[in-house]
Amino acid sequence: MQGRLAHFAQPWALHARTFRGSQMTQLRGKGTGLEVVLAGQPFDEALAELADRLGQRPQFYRGSEATAVFDVAEPDPEDVARLGLLLDEHGIALRGLAVCGPVADALEARREKRAKREVTLSDSARSLVADFAGARSDIAQRRRKGEPSVPRVDFRRKPEPTAEAPALRVVEAAPQTLYHQGTLRGGQSLHQVGSIVIVGDVNPGAELVASGDIVVFGRLAGTAHAGAQGDAAARIYALDLCPTQLRIATCIAADSTQRGNSEPEVAAVRENRIVIVSYRQAHTLEEEAVR
Amino acid sequence: MFDLVEVVEGRCQLRQALIKDKRFGDCLSILPAAQTRDKDAVTPEQFSSVVAQAAEQCDFVLVDCPAGIEGGFRNAIAGVGEAIVVTTPEVSAIRDADRVIGKLVERALPIRLIINRLRPEMVRTQDMLSVDDVCEILSAELLGVIPDDEEIIDMTNRGEPIALNPSMRLATIYDKIARRLEGELVPFTSFDSPGFFGRLFGALKAG
Repeated sequence: MQGRLAHFAQPWALHARTFRGSQMTQLRGKGTGLEVVLAGQPFDEALAELADRLGQRPQFYRGSEATAVFDVAEPDPEDVARLGLLLDEHGIALRGLAVCGPVADALEARREKRAKREVTLSDSARSLVADFAGARSDIAQRRRKGEPSVPRVDFRRKPEPTAEAPALRVVEAAPQTLYHQGTLRGGQSLHQVGSIVIVGDVNPGAELVASGDIVVFGRLAGTAHAGAQGDAAARIYALDLCPTQLRIATCIAADSTQRGNSEPEVAAVRENRIVIVSYRQAHTLEEEAVR
Repeated sequence: MFDLVEVVEGRCQLRQALIKDKRFGDCLSILPAAQTRDKDAVTPEQFSSVVAQAAEQCDFVLVDCPAGIEGGFRNAIAGVGEAIVVTTPEVSAIRDADRVIGKLVERALPIRLIINRLRPEMVRTQDMLSVDDVCEILSAELLGVIPDDEEIIDMTNRGEPIALNPSMRLATIYDKIARRLEGELVPFTSFDSPGFFGRLFGALKAG
C-alpha cells in the first residue's frame, strides 16, 4: 500500500483535473470510477465526513477505483496516505489525484495560455513537413498495394533494349612522331599519339605524354609518360635522364638521387618495374626480352 | 600628379603623367602605377597602347613586371618587344623563371637574363648554382650578373640609384647592363676567380 501511494508522490499538477464552483466533501460516481472531493474544509474534517459516508454503505463501493480531488496543487503526502488507507479499508483503490478551486483555475489559465502559443514554421520546415507527408502517403499507398515500401531494383535483370542508340564511331588517330626543337619549360606539355622526339631540354614542371616512345636529345628533368595507352614495351631515351617522374604504361618511378655522370640512358619496364640502364648497355634489355 | 590608370581612362595626357628625373633633364621619366587601383583597372589592350605612345617619345620603355604569371604579368608583357628576366640563382626561383620564360616564348619575345644576388663565395664552394648553370637550365642569353652586396641594399634603402654613384664599386655592373641593352658587346665581370673582391679591395686601397 505504501508503495502504491509513493507512486502518487509525484508532481500533482500533472494529474490535475479541474473543477469549478465551491466544493464540499463529495463522493460521486463518474465515468469509470468514483470521484472523492475533499475541498472547502480542513482535510481532517473532510476525511472524517468521508469515513462517515463510506461507513453508511460499507460494501457498496468495494472493488471500485477512485480519484481524489483536492483544492491544493500539492497535497500533503501524509494526507494522501491516510486517504488511501481509508479507501482501502472499504475496498476502493486510489487511482489518481486531481485538483479544484482557485488552484485549478490558475492551472487552467496557464494551460490556456500555453495552447494559445502559435507554432510558426519556417518555409524550409514547412516544405520538409510537406515532403514527409508526401513520403508517408507514398509509402502507405505502396503498402496498400502490397509492394515493399522501399523499391528494390533487380540488378540481375538486364535492361530492356531501348530505341537504337546512335552508333559512336571511334576514329583512331594514326600514330605519328612529334618532333619538337627547343626547350620545354615548366608548365608546358606535349601530348602525342605516337612517339615524341625533343631536341632540347625538358625542364622540371614540363610534361611529355606519348603513346609510344619518348626521345629527348638533351636533359630530361620534367615528367615523361611513354606508352600512355598501355604499351609496356615503350621506352624513354635521354642524353641526361634526371626526371621528376617517369611513367611507362602503368608503372611509375620517381628518382630523386642526383647522378653526377650524364651519359645517355634508357628507361624501360622489366618485371613490372621501371629500370634505367646506360644507353651503351641497352642491348641487354633486348637480350632479356628474348629470353 | 597623374598615374597610369588616369592615362588609360583618358583623364590626362601621357606627357602630363610622366614624372621627369631632374638629374637627367628630359632623358628619364617615370609613369607611376596607381596606388589606389589594382591591376584589373587596366586591360592588356589599354596598357599596350600606353606603351606604344611612350615608345614614340623614348628610346627605351622599361616595364616593371610583377612576379608570377597572373593578370599583372599579362598586362606588363602586352605591347613590349623584348623581355628581361631577373632571377636569383636558387632552384625554386629558377623554376618560376623557367615558367615565365615559357610564357614569354609563347609570345615570341626575345629574352635576356639577369642573375641577381649571386654570391661568388657560395658558388665557389658549390653551395649555389653558378651563372653557367642558370644559363644552361634556362637556356637564355645572359644580360648581366649582379652580386649580392651590402652596398646595393644600403643604396636601395636610401632610394638612390647606385649607377649614379661612380664611387660605388658595383656602379659599373649596372652601367655594363645598360650598354649591353644598347647593343654593345661588353665583357662580363668574372666572379669565378677567387681574388675578384680581394683585388677590387686592393685596388681601392691602393687608389
